[in-house]
Amino acid sequence: MPRISSSAAAESSPLASSEYVLQVRNVSKAFPGVQALDNVSFDLKPGEVHVLLGENGAGKSTLMKIIAGAYLPDAGEILIDGQPAANLTPRKAQELGVGIIYQEFNLIPFLNVAENIFIDQLPTRQLIRLDHKTAHRKAREILASLNMEVPTHALAVELSTAQQQIVEVAKALTHNSRILIMDEPTASLTDREIEQLFMTIRELKSKGIGIIYISHRLREMKEIGDRVTVLRDGRYVGTHNLSEVTVDSLVTMMVGREIDLLYEHDEVSLGEEVLRVEGLSSKATGLRDVSMNLRRGEIVGLAGLVGSGRTELARAIFNADRHDEGRIIIFGKESKGKTPKDSVRNRIALLPEDRKRQGLALILSVAENVLSASLDKVFPRGWVDQRKQKSLSDEYIKILRIATPSGARITRDLSGGNQQKVVIAKWLATGSEIFIFDEPTRGIDVGAKCEIYGFMNHLKKNNCAVLMISSELPEVIGMSDRIFVMREGTIVAEVSRGEATQEKIISYAMDAAPERPANSGTDQNPARADPGK
Amino acid sequence: MSPLKTLLDIPKIFWVNVALIVAFSLISSRYMTILNAINIMQQGAVLLVITAAMTIVILSEGLDLSLGAVMTMAGVVSVLALGAGLPVPVAILAGVLSGTFLGAITGTLIAFCKMSPFIATLGMQGVIFGFTLALTHSKAIFTDNANFILIGSRIGRYVPLAAILCGIIFLSVWATLHHTKFGRYVIAIGGNESGAHLSGINTTFWKWFVYVFAGTVTAMGGIILAARLEVADPIVGVGWEFDAIAATVLGGTSLTTGRGDVSGSFLGVLLIMLLRNGMNVVGTPPIWQPALMGTIIIFAIAFQVSTTMREEAGR
Ligand SMILES: Nc1ncnc2c1ncn2[C@@H]1O[C@H](COP(=O)(O)OP(=O)(O)O)[C@@H](O)[C@H]1O
Ligand SMILES: [Mg+2]
Repeated sequence: MPRISSSAAAESSPLASSEYVLQVRNVSKAFPGVQALDNVSFDLKPGEVHVLLGENGAGKSTLMKIIAGAYLPDAGEILIDGQPAANLTPRKAQELGVGIIYQEFNLIPFLNVAENIFIDQLPTRQLIRLDHKTAHRKAREILASLNMEVPTHALAVELSTAQQQIVEVAKALTHNSRILIMDEPTASLTDREIEQLFMTIRELKSKGIGIIYISHRLREMKEIGDRVTVLRDGRYVGTHNLSEVTVDSLVTMMVGREIDLLYEHDEVSLGEEVLRVEGLSSKATGLRDVSMNLRRGEIVGLAGLVGSGRTELARAIFNADRHDEGRIIIFGKESKGKTPKDSVRNRIALLPEDRKRQGLALILSVAENVLSASLDKVFPRGWVDQRKQKSLSDEYIKILRIATPSGARITRDLSGGNQQKVVIAKWLATGSEIFIFDEPTRGIDVGAKCEIYGFMNHLKKNNCAVLMISSELPEVIGMSDRIFVMREGTIVAEVSRGEATQEKIISYAMDAAPERPANSGTDQNPARADPGK
Repeated sequence: MSPLKTLLDIPKIFWVNVALIVAFSLISSRYMTILNAINIMQQGAVLLVITAAMTIVILSEGLDLSLGAVMTMAGVVSVLALGAGLPVPVAILAGVLSGTFLGAITGTLIAFCKMSPFIATLGMQGVIFGFTLALTHSKAIFTDNANFILIGSRIGRYVPLAAILCGIIFLSVWATLHHTKFGRYVIAIGGNESGAHLSGINTTFWKWFVYVFAGTVTAMGGIILAARLEVADPIVGVGWEFDAIAATVLGGTSLTTGRGDVSGSFLGVLLIMLLRNGMNVVGTPPIWQPALMGTIIIFAIAFQVSTTMREEAGR
């Protein structure tokens, strides 16, 4: 018998008396360097869809992982059916009726659909021999009860993203789940597939299952959700009935931050165009027809949600990834470069998001890191000239005020902000003039942030050009002369400094721009229907 | 999925094997005989067992460089037990359990102490090898126990008992991979360990069990080898783990993604054995055989890995 037949509603009837299937009380969780959740409360009624809303990094996934037993909270408690559920593990949470579809891919690539759905409860007969037949039959039943069709013998790698999503839903329901968490389930689905998923959600609702739904698509959540809770910077902002709030007010609740005085901005007279991208597309990375430009003496912000293609665009410009179509023009000449090495020669610098992995060799000294991209300067005769290395690197340490006792210090020992400065020094040393910063201030303290902003301005005043990817809207608005907003692999808007507001940018980034039709049912956004994604 | 269908899913190396057989039989008229085929089986049987164990480990995204040493140790333990006057079944059981025990230690280092499989098993290889030398005083120990020798010999001219036993062990490993929870968890851990963990699987325990299983299976191979050679030689297993890894990779198992199958490894072992036997039959000078063998295996692996990678990139 499939575990989620219509009996689920009947089984949940004793709970009908208790108003909430799930209560989260004052939960906090810190990761090194960031307070992901700070005293957050949340609750869920049976048979409701409760939307969780917040910018990237607001703490939504962390909260869900705590409910599902993947992380333990530092403080606070979880109540399921009114009973405290302490020390949850993934297994315990499942047994208590929590099903979750994680934001990350969680299927096993080389197991088939039935095995994936029942991975932790594979049926056996004769002691240890697996009962494949029963597994496939039960899998088919579950999928049928969801009105979904996926071949149960197919391996997970062979499925489309939408099919994988369906398998994740089925898997999350096998434990007779009464709480179902969906962390951005529609991020990679087409309109038709989303419609299907919504039908499933309505069906589950009618069975009394409480659903927590995370999505960035504001109009979509108005269609499916009952209540909404907004998180911002790991803190609870508020809970409302979706029927009583407007999209605009939700956006305001999400951003609600003041642009502080952290950001310095100088007007610099614009110079020549140094970078021009025309019609750039790439199947592999999902970029579609991207066009933009960059001039000397300006900082251009690149805003958008995680996954909107910002990093992919930066990597394409830097020749770190190939593109299929389009041109990249650097200093007025079409770039014929094929590798990052050509880009360095073209005086482009990329300061990647994950500086520990891509920008720095943490076990090398500061001096070695500073000169690692311009080694020909320190070993003209084929070996490293120690004295030259020291004098050159000391110069950059001084210019950037890197807080280190000496250039010989191991880079790992430096603070995040100073490590970031080492990356900048490395590119300065190569003589770069086009700087691409990918999330330059993520995870560093305010003091170091200030210095990095100051340094970007310094670059701008010295006739260099800066392209800055950032998820922090105040930072983008505070620092940029112009802002490009990306969504689903392409640039959807260019906003000038004068016009830029957080609301405006996030509306573009989330496809909630007011000038578009507000009816999501007839929304024919070509990006969603793009099968290449 | 039947073993046959899985075999047909990996056609490239299969055709390499066919090509080798054709080439050798063209060069030498003494090649295509039933007796030579049985020879290949008897000689390749134990490698097939070790490779099956290695494939399970590699499918779980692990590695076990100590399997050659475990194999040697198991043979030594069994033969020493016989020498001490224990009955044959008890001696065999002691050998098998020595492999289980060593696998449990290796597994503990990797699953519970979170050591990298490469480092942990390289260390274990040295430790086990050292103990084997100490146990045997670095001398080969002969046995003349007829019942023991029987399991490694052939009955009459045409019934290769060792090959049959190894074939049964191999099929059991295949069945374990496909028809038990453990087997599916191996694929799960190799393919997406964090996903498996978040799905409620006790990945730490099952990772430990991978090495216990591999040690046990390998020990069975080691005992059959000692019986076939009628001697427990403390250095007999040196380098076997590399043949096993080569055969596994030749069979299309990926070192990193939980993709592959024990049945592919059968073809990998066959390729290695065909080469070895063929070079002897056609009279390649023994001093050149290792170099030639290594070169051909490198080319074959490059060929196999490039197609495996292309298929993986294509999805
Ligand atoms: N495993 C982790 N280790 C360190 N930091 C983390 C980890 N998971 C999340 N974070 C950080 O916690 C914050 C909240 O992240 P997350 O819950 O994923 O946000 P959301 O899902 O709302 O986008 C972010 O600053 C993120 O960088
Ligand atoms: Mg998230």
